[in-house]
Amino acid sequence: MLKRLFILCFFVSLFGVSIVGADDFDAAFGDEFSDAPVVTERLIADPLQPLNRGTFWVNDKLYFYLFKPIARGYRQVTPRPARVSVGNFFANLATPIRAGNALLQFKFRDFGTETYRFVINSTFGILGLFDPAESVGGVKKTVEDFGQTLGFYGVGHGFYLVLPIVGPSSLRDATGVFVDSYADPLRYSHLKTSEQMGFKMLDAENRLSLDRETYEGIVHDSLDPYLFIRAAYAQRRLAQVGEDTYNVNIFKGPLFDSDLLNPFDWIGF
Amino acid sequence: MKKIILFCGLLILLCSASCFALPQPQARVKQMVDTVLNVLQQPDLSATEKRAQISGQVQEYLNIASMARRTLGSYWDGASAEQQQRFSDLFVKILEGTYLSRIDDYSTGTVQYLKQRVKDDKAIIDTVIVAKELEIPVQYKMIYVDNVWQVFDLVIEGVSLVKNYRSSYGEIIRQEGYEGLLALMVEKVQAMESSM
Repeated sequence: MLKRLFILCFFVSLFGVSIVGADDFDAAFGDEFSDAPVVTERLIADPLQPLNRGTFWVNDKLYFYLFKPIARGYRQVTPRPARVSVGNFFANLATPIRAGNALLQFKFRDFGTETYRFVINSTFGILGLFDPAESVGGVKKTVEDFGQTLGFYGVGHGFYLVLPIVGPSSLRDATGVFVDSYADPLRYSHLKTSEQMGFKMLDAENRLSLDRETYEGIVHDSLDPYLFIRAAYAQRRLAQVGEDTYNVNIFKGPLFDSDLLNPFDWIGF
Repeated sequence: MKKIILFCGLLILLCSASCFALPQPQARVKQMVDTVLNVLQQPDLSATEKRAQISGQVQEYLNIASMARRTLGSYWDGASAEQQQRFSDLFVKILEGTYLSRIDDYSTGTVQYLKQRVKDDKAIIDTVIVAKELEIPVQYKMIYVDNVWQVFDLVIEGVSLVKNYRSSYGEIIRQEGYEGLLALMVEKVQAMESSM
């Protein structure tokens, strides 16, 4: 039964992908291909640039002189498999955020994925320390947050924001992080605020210890790391929201991605 | 089921209509990737030799002129021919410095070819690089020029290389002018070469 459900899910997901692929077919072959000079576009508004650059500078120093050395020390005393497990644990704990936002966007496939992963990883994966859902079942974590949910309903970034310590964000996405914190189980854990902060720090340092020097690479490669990160952030978030144009009409969105929910299917089209 | 047949039919129609006369762009990407992996997996080459070989062999698969022009966008036409040439030369060096410095990480990687979409002389190839514990979706945008498919943009995890460069370089030109951009590029290339 489980296997059949699996296969069904697999086909539904395959089909979903193909529909999306066909939809953005023409968009993908858009103006990027024309030989005419492209008007230099602004990927995201940045009216607070002087302030943002200030924060960016502070974050850069914090990264190189505080957070990175801590991560390096932590990496030396903690074997890699343990760090991967710590990362798995925090990712599993944050499931309500991803599942909730998938539901808010009618992405039932992602909601199913998250539910399945949470059940499997919390039990067979020993409280989420391991990730058999992916390593055995091949079911990968989704990327969902409230910033994307807002984007899905047509809310734009507003403007670019560099948050202290956290890094690149926007008015919309920072609001998203704040809203998401209410779906974070840690918030309801009866831990003291300082202890909660400690867990957040551990999560962040752990992630940094597994990172392959992404930031160092950007600093090494780009003429102006601030501009490079801003452009990459805007593009990546746009890709995550999954719509090239802001789309207020939810009926055009992924609502009909699933066969089950597509009224054309009911009447046998 | 009906839908699947319909979709397959559509797919066949699309393919037969558009990729008739032209060779397959995906095969071209595969050829490029195999060339790179082939060099990376030679055990007796030093890192510097590997980089030099890859840089020499990969360039024929890329349309550098198109990449440079698209990166400057509307500023390309405003520049003199000599400035355009200087920009292109520096741009290639920056691309090399960026992509060759970390390429050894991928020597054990494999590439999966997911799908190819072709429309007239344009193509989009979707691939995934699978290396130790990471999977990176990479999309190649190609055009058919001089009887050969050439890559003019890479989209890595939804981030287009050309768009990213255009956005950054455009802002630098607005603030510091064309010569200011070139000066920054010279500085960057020197820093990259000294750290190689």
